[in-house]
Amino acid sequence: MRSSVLSLAIAASIALASAPVLADAPKCEPEKVAEKYPELAGKTLLMGADGQTPPYAYLDSKTNTLVGSDIDLAKKVFDCIGVKYEIRPAAWSGIFPAVVAGQMDLMFYIYYNAKRVQQADFVVYMKAGTGAITQKGNPKNIKSNDDLCGKTVAVGLGTVEEAQMKELGGKCVAAGKETVTVMTYPDHAAGFRLVANKRADVMLTDLALVDRTVADNPDVYVRAYGIISGFQIGAAVKKGNKVLADALLDGLKAVQASGGEQEVFKKYGVDPALELPAELKTN
Amino acid sequence: MEWATEVLSYFTSDFLWAGAVLAVKITVVSMVIGLTFGLVLALMRMSEYRPIAGVAWVYIWVMRGTPLLLQLVFIFDALPLVGLKFDSFTTAVIGFSLNQAAFSAEILRGGILSVSPQQAVAASSLGMGPMLTLRRIVLPQAMRAILPALANDTIGMLKMTSVASVIFVNELTFRAQQIVGENFKFFTVFAGAGLIYLLLTSIISIVQMTLERSLDPDRRQQAGPRGRLGFGRRGQVALPVATAGPARKASRVETVRELIPAASATSSDQPFLQCTNVWKAYGERDVLKGISFDVKPGEVVAVIGPSGSGKSTLLRLVNHLESIDQGEIRVGGRYVGYVKENGHLKPISGRARARAEVGVSMVFQSFNLFANLTALENIMEAPVRVHGVPKAEAEALARRLLAAVGLSSHADHLPQHLSGGQQQRVAIARALAVKPRLMLFDEPTSALDPELVGEVLSVMRALAEAGMTMVIVTHEIRFAREVADRVVFFDDGNIVEEGAPADVLDRPKMERTRQFLSAISNESDDEEVA
Repeated sequence: MRSSVLSLAIAASIALASAPVLADAPKCEPEKVAEKYPELAGKTLLMGADGQTPPYAYLDSKTNTLVGSDIDLAKKVFDCIGVKYEIRPAAWSGIFPAVVAGQMDLMFYIYYNAKRVQQADFVVYMKAGTGAITQKGNPKNIKSNDDLCGKTVAVGLGTVEEAQMKELGGKCVAAGKETVTVMTYPDHAAGFRLVANKRADVMLTDLALVDRTVADNPDVYVRAYGIISGFQIGAAVKKGNKVLADALLDGLKAVQASGGEQEVFKKYGVDPALELPAELKTN
Repeated sequence: MEWATEVLSYFTSDFLWAGAVLAVKITVVSMVIGLTFGLVLALMRMSEYRPIAGVAWVYIWVMRGTPLLLQLVFIFDALPLVGLKFDSFTTAVIGFSLNQAAFSAEILRGGILSVSPQQAVAASSLGMGPMLTLRRIVLPQAMRAILPALANDTIGMLKMTSVASVIFVNELTFRAQQIVGENFKFFTVFAGAGLIYLLLTSIISIVQMTLERSLDPDRRQQAGPRGRLGFGRRGQVALPVATAGPARKASRVETVRELIPAASATSSDQPFLQCTNVWKAYGERDVLKGISFDVKPGEVVAVIGPSGSGKSTLLRLVNHLESIDQGEIRVGGRYVGYVKENGHLKPISGRARARAEVGVSMVFQSFNLFANLTALENIMEAPVRVHGVPKAEAEALARRLLAAVGLSSHADHLPQHLSGGQQQRVAIARALAVKPRLMLFDEPTSALDPELVGEVLSVMRALAEAGMTMVIVTHEIRFAREVADRVVFFDDGNIVEEGAPADVLDRPKMERTRQFLSAISNESDDEEVA
């Protein structure tokens, strides 16, 4: 008891003394949650996650709980802020609307873009890569986006890839080629089935997911190509929830500063180069 | 066989079963709420009051016409904007209930419409209110048409709960998808989950089968003393036929006299039924054109006349099965389900109760016995449910009435197993069970084979001799001559002639009456020749 009081006192005095100097390198101070984020103290944050997105979030078959790089990273951030949390699984398409409606407090791993930021505030923390997965041996010889005219492409419902492919289809027609046939799937497993069953020629989704799937099923799939798309991936909170956005920003910065994000990425086979310095995006 | 072990391991997975339990919970709660609300909607849809029917129609139109997924997301994600925030489970229950209500409203409506409206008319004539009629008579018969469709809906809903994964309901299919999302073993995982579904839907099918059996009146009857699912009742007791042999007629009159209220309790000079200047029109057509007509206590009046002359309509007005347009009808000095306002009769609610209080019973051309009840139960229904007579007492009375109409051994038979004549005798016993002071007979023998007419007429004769006040619409001229104190001849909504049977039937004053009687006698002559 005495030691904890003592350490609290020391930590407090250090924080007081060093706060102005170290303003740009936030530290994890979970014990000070009531002081730093009074609105969050004692609250249990609800985080929505799609448990069908390995290696970011998926079901651990032993514990039947969600694990993955985003889950681990989120937990590190929550622990760093000093809040309780609950991670609830849902179908992908339902999560963002739930955050916007305030049914969920936040979600990790959602592409930041101009349209979505009108509905929610983002704290970005990684760069996105898009991977194209096709049948083993790449029978249609697909090497880049330019080879997709006239092909059947599977994309997740409501994803950025879906929008990109619809746009690409128009360009193909303008260039006198056949359009892109876009097939949408509700969850990644369904998308992979489309490719495995040859209903789709290629499926576009997250690069790390593609790599992991290919590594797990080398007899079925191969990576056709991969691109760093330039998109940024972040955590989303309800528009105007400044307290939580700030807390996440501080937490992510602190976890990044201590090498926590690198550690999580390595553990789940996500390219550490995809780390992006945390930044709050409100427009 | 590795895959089989794997399927089995998923089939027995706690993780998947937790999802299954959630799906079952949502289904059960939503089904109960949905059915209740659905019944309300179905009744609204059938309401004569246009705006109420319209509201129900619009609700059903919207709910059936929009995807459930959309409704769920709307409730979960849009209602918080107006301050209504529900958790996942509650949202799912609300969404599925509201949806199910729309679908089951139509199923229930279909079931209710499949029951003959005459069943409700009969119940109404016995003083049973609309809700009691619905619960005891209409729904039990409708349920047989309703159940299979509802079982379909239940199974459909159980499987459809996976739609709710967008609102964070972590049920069976969604859990299976998550496992697949990690290990990509589609077939074994989904086969395991599929087996769980199959097991659950099998249970629903078994429940459906059991319920259907228990609702089948024939099976219910065979179930005997124990019955099924609490529908049981006492087994058949073969009572000796009380009335047989030559002593039959006299004893029947005696029995009936004991069973009916004393006719002359009120001053017999005062008419018991008074119709004054009664007008009734259906649309443009005047059916009754200012009829005035009285019946004294203990009097037996035969109403004759061609079809469409308004005879039956008059009976239906007397016990307020239909509303009067002009004039007034009093029974025992009271209006049946009306109040008088500014010289006009205004219908009020609770006319079933008024009917019961005044003591008017009706016997129909088509018998209208309750198809879901045995002869005994048909007779007991109104005394127990409307007049609050204790069951044992009502049963004793019902058995005595059955004996009086000569059907003691048929107490536990369903109407469908009785001949027309037997059904009509049970119907008379049923009408007597409420201790009426006035009995209305609407062509009671017209739907019967000629050889069955006699048994019904003999019961009616006994009633007349016992002093019951009766109005009988009939084509049986011979019977009218024998039994009636007075004969009234109707034509084209007017009373053409009335008087003692000997006068009206044998020495009619009016040409129209003569024509009618000669047409009738020609007809019966033809029949006799043929």
